[in-house]
Amino acid sequence: MNTTILQTVQLNKFYRGAVMFQALKNINFLLKAGEFVSVVGPSGSGKSTLLYVLSTMDSDYQGDIYFDGELLRKKSANELAEIRNEKIGFVFQFHYLLPEFTAIENVMLPALKLGRYSYEEIREQALEKLNLLGLGKIAEKKANTLSGGQQQRVAIARALINHPKIIMGDEPTGNLDSKNADAVYDIFRMLNQQFNLTFLIVTHDMNFAQKTDRTVFLKDGEIIKEMMNS
Amino acid sequence: MKKNTILSIAWRHLLSKKRQTIVALLGVTFGIAIFIFQGGLITGFQQLFIEQTINTSAHIRLYNEDQVNRLSILSKVDSFKTAWLIIHSQKPKDELPKIRNARAIVKWLEQQPEIEGVSPSLSAQVIFKNGITQVSARVVGTDIIKENLLFNVEKYNIQGSIKKLQTIPNGIILGEGLANLLNVQLNDNILVIAPSGVSLEMKVVAINKTGITELDKTRAYTNIRNAQKLLMVDNDYFTDIPIRLKNIDDAENYARLLEKKFGLRALDWKEANANIFSVFKIQNMVTYLIITTILIVSGFGIFNILMMIIYEKLPDIAILKAIGYKNRDIVKIFLLESVFIGVTGGLLGLLLGFLMQKIVGSIKMNVKGFVTLEYLQFNSSLSFYLFAFFFALLVTAIAGYLPARKASKTDPIEILRAK
Repeated sequence: MNTTILQTVQLNKFYRGAVMFQALKNINFLLKAGEFVSVVGPSGSGKSTLLYVLSTMDSDYQGDIYFDGELLRKKSANELAEIRNEKIGFVFQFHYLLPEFTAIENVMLPALKLGRYSYEEIREQALEKLNLLGLGKIAEKKANTLSGGQQQRVAIARALINHPKIIMGDEPTGNLDSKNADAVYDIFRMLNQQFNLTFLIVTHDMNFAQKTDRTVFLKDGEIIKEMMNS
Repeated sequence: MKKNTILSIAWRHLLSKKRQTIVALLGVTFGIAIFIFQGGLITGFQQLFIEQTINTSAHIRLYNEDQVNRLSILSKVDSFKTAWLIIHSQKPKDELPKIRNARAIVKWLEQQPEIEGVSPSLSAQVIFKNGITQVSARVVGTDIIKENLLFNVEKYNIQGSIKKLQTIPNGIILGEGLANLLNVQLNDNILVIAPSGVSLEMKVVAINKTGITELDKTRAYTNIRNAQKLLMVDNDYFTDIPIRLKNIDDAENYARLLEKKFGLRALDWKEANANIFSVFKIQNMVTYLIITTILIVSGFGIFNILMMIIYEKLPDIAILKAIGYKNRDIVKIFLLESVFIGVTGGLLGLLLGFLMQKIVGSIKMNVKGFVTLEYLQFNSSLSFYLFAFFFALLVTAIAGYLPARKASKTDPIEILRAK
């Protein structure tokens, strides 16, 4: 009963500079709901490029991407923004919290944009997410006064607020020490198991990758290997 | 935060750059203050001049124009068509400036719905003499009651009573400038000498001051009978029919109509003051050029601070776009910031400009130019303030939109991508 959440068909991407450079070559890739998948590869292999194409932020590609049953190529920039807002949660290498806002306000931002619930309801939900990640106590602190590990966890709470279909991560542990990196993995795994949340994480941290369900190996823009981790 | 996310992001950006925000804001404040002060001075002065002109002189003046370049009667003879015709020192026809059938014209004019009133008069260039002082000026013979109804003679009267023109047979009303030139005071006698050679001893019964320097220096009123005596003409003799219209904007068209109907020259007030209006035009151009330049400079101030904020907040812009904020949301954030600076700076500018007008307007200046004034007159009408304010908003909107659009076009991937 595992439905397909993300599928690419003959995905190609070129960078047109002085020299034409093919960043992605014939990517055929399938992601099922509830999967915890990591993408690894040497730098320049195109793993980040792939993630941003799949994330709808980069719409300059050839081939087709189906996200949650919808063909992305036909969507306008605003429709793609709505998809990101509603269905995708992001965790980046850096936290990218707005420094002038408190932790809880940062978590609320995507939900306020979505506008499905009232301000009070959103605040309650945000507090719930922060509590889930053990951050209830720092909810009212300014984002720029938190420690690196706390900031990344607030960013994860922000990714969760709209109950997304998938969490996409670009080196989410890249800027953390091993203890905090492990904590982030534990949170992801907990969310994956408790809420059947899908994860697509680009990383060069092999320790992290090995703990995921499946690892996709990318080299020179091609998938060279896919491996189920046990 | 509670009311509007976009607004609170914009607000916190400004708070994080307090000093620069205040500098940009003061830029707008001073720009608008100068606008209000300088523009208000120029337009206030011009309005005053136009108002005085409209109130104190004819909207249309009907008179006979001297025809100097008339064709010689010889040129009308057929046999001269193929020959050269040379006439030396041709003189203007000895035609009186009298308006023929003036009473009938006045009667017709008085029945027209567009016309508020007419006051037929005759005027002549005369010499006023007081002792050895001689001053040339124009004396207007008029029915002072009618004239007052149309041109507010009494309102600008500063000494004596204009009604004495009816009771004192050889009374005369002088402009203040003229009285000063002649060195005469109320109830003094002066000698008036007309080009016809007639001279009359007249008594100053009132002195008036319109504030328009040229008018006050060269105009005197007397009754019709005296003027006719001076010119040695009969009692049907009128040279001018000044007309006051109900709507001054009709003056130009209505003047053309009257010219066609009566074959007289009809000079409307705009044409009569054309050279002054052209000076006003240049004055306005220079003033608004300076004001616009100042406001553009304040616009650069806003542009500058927004660009600073945007460069600093590129990661914020990127993450907002990643979590689903649209390009127009990003534009809104930065546009709001510039509008805040524009509105606050603009309002403060209006206030500062208003205070500057009040302070400078309360200092006694004794200006003597086109108009004679004790205190500077400012344009402080609501529409002028609104105009200044919307001009400030326009400048800030443009200065804000350019960086805002740039911010919205930021590619989030380049910023968010792991390094």
